Amino acid sequence: MKSFRTYLITSLVLVFLLNSCMEEQNFDQYEDLRLRPTYEASILYIEASERAIDAASSATFFSRDFNFDAFSESVFSERVRSGIITYEVENTTNQEFDEILVEFLDEAGNVLYTESFYVPPAPTAVLQREITFGPGGENIDIIRNTSSFRVSATIGADSSTSTLSDPKITLKSSGKFTVALK
Amino acid sequence: MRFQKTFLATILLVCGYMHGQNKQLLYDFGEVPQSLMVNPGTKVDFKWYAGIPMLSGISLQVGSSGISANDIFADDGLDINDKVRDRAIGGMKIEDELSGTYQLELLSGGFQGRNPNNFYSFGIYNEGDAIGYWFKDYAILAFEGNADYLDKRFDLSHLKTRGEMMNVFHFGVNKRMGNGLVLGLRGKLYSSILDFNSTGNRGYFVTTEGQNNLLASTLNADMQLRTSGLSALDEAKDDGNLASTIIKRGFFGGNLGVGVDLGFSYNINEQLVVTGSLLDLGFIYHANDVKSYSLNGNATIEGIEIILPSALSDSNRDFWQDFVDEVDALVPFEDDSESYVAFRPTKLYASLRYNFGKPVRSRQDCDCNYSVSSNKGSLKYANGVGGQIYMINRPRGPQTALTAFYHRRFGDVMAVKATYTVDKFSLTNVGLGVSMQAGPVNLYLMADNLLAYQNLAASQYTSFQLGLNIISWGKN
Repeated sequence: MKSFRTYLITSLVLVFLLNSCMEEQNFDQYEDLRLRPTYEASILYIEASERAIDAASSATFFSRDFNFDAFSESVFSERVRSGIITYEVENTTNQEFDEILVEFLDEAGNVLYTESFYVPPAPTAVLQREITFGPGGENIDIIRNTSSFRVSATIGADSSTSTLSDPKITLKSSGKFTVALK
Repeated sequence: MRFQKTFLATILLVCGYMHGQNKQLLYDFGEVPQSLMVNPGTKVDFKWYAGIPMLSGISLQVGSSGISANDIFADDGLDINDKVRDRAIGGMKIEDELSGTYQLELLSGGFQGRNPNNFYSFGIYNEGDAIGYWFKDYAILAFEGNADYLDKRFDLSHLKTRGEMMNVFHFGVNKRMGNGLVLGLRGKLYSSILDFNSTGNRGYFVTTEGQNNLLASTLNADMQLRTSGLSALDEAKDDGNLASTIIKRGFFGGNLGVGVDLGFSYNINEQLVVTGSLLDLGFIYHANDVKSYSLNGNATIEGIEIILPSALSDSNRDFWQDFVDEVDALVPFEDDSESYVAFRPTKLYASLRYNFGKPVRSRQDCDCNYSVSSNKGSLKYANGVGGQIYMINRPRGPQTALTAFYHRRFGDVMAVKATYTVDKFSLTNVGLGVSMQAGPVNLYLMADNLLAYQNLAASQYTSFQLGLNIISWGKN
């Protein structure tokens, strides 16, 4: 009788230990998991004092290519899905700028995209502009293939000198990009 | 490097479903020889025992304090992205511990000394231990990015993890001192197969309004990841001799360390017993196949800055490369092969037990072949009830568990221990362990958090221990 009781307890314990349940799981959901963070950071900052502008010998007082490999790095270019580039141009000089051009260049130097600004002399409001790339905006491949920027500025007619303490023109820019990590 | 990344990623993921080891069922379970491994001062009355190689002690615990598989993968029609965002990213805290331990006894045995008050035990076991705390801010960066988090400091200290795999060679002495006191000491030699740890990270990443440009990105980092053995295993994997390399490193071909276990049992009176043990008080010195990585420094960037007219002085200047070099100089990512010391996760057990009911007939009185106790211990009672405490030293400080238990002996053939454990992971952890004796053959099976077996996928903590031994109490 004692032996029977012992084995009965043993059996019950084993049945209890081995009898488990599990709600239905769907591990295929992993395929639907999307890791699409959005990162933002500054891109380019250009500053020119009125003195530098006045010293320019031609109307195109400045033109320069800037290598920028961040966009064309495969870790970024293969994952980027959309983005917004924000520009902010502030002019406190008395100089009018007929055109400030920001050109996106590919590896071969071909122009992929151009952003143009007309900037009147001070006093003038800060010029802000947001350009969307990706769905609903410019082609995201422009970003993917951009290897450098060309920035050039063409000044207008001669002007007087500003009376402000530190007159200058600044071009600020930042990017906000959504990337597909998974 | 690819293997290292894969391995570390796997460890981190696996750790997400594992839980730190607490062998509350095995502790003070004197019918099972392996109880000596959690308290070398446990009262035992064996003449000798021999574990069945590879089967004498198998233990594994899996769990998670913050989330379960069911929370993410339940077939409930909800979008997995919402579930991850709400339950993992938003629901888990940095204190949520993601850890686990397994042990596999390769060799185990014990014998009574010439002095019957002494009992010696020895063996080899393979152990893996890993822990990772929820890296919340890293997860936010990976899942959502920094775009909507202006001025938020992403805390780099959220990366806190460590793990190791080793073989442990041990020899222990269990000595009855008289007056109900039993002391135990176990010396251990660790042969590390692999190790990684990154526990002292500090710093932050923050995006703020820029001074010149629109945004400023600041990285302040003091981070380090130390590894040993990963390169050797990586090469072995490529060469197709991974198993032999693991075996070689586990048998003194890797890094070595030493440690001790201490323990005692003391009968305050005939029925009241207090016990305690301190396990893995030791360290491993890593000098072989060491690879450490660090990121240390402070940098604030606002993109490429061009100030005219000075910027035009060098027409060939590569502003992008200058920018990259400047960041590299300010926050260098470096690696080295300097040796380091890693301390084992030390564990502490203590218990108070009250024995009651009929004293169990001692094996000395049994007429079976495997009877007769040579040890003159105290009486064994049919019932025992009490409480236990468990603590383990972890990177964010000690982790504690409290256990209430009931221990019941059914003659000489069976003993059962039921536990109720409360810790940071569960308030409903009921465990059950059973040891069965069929002649000289001892089989034990223990499982934790049984209520969670109603839906294993929803469990944040599931574990088992089992083993097979041959035990002798001596012959008449």
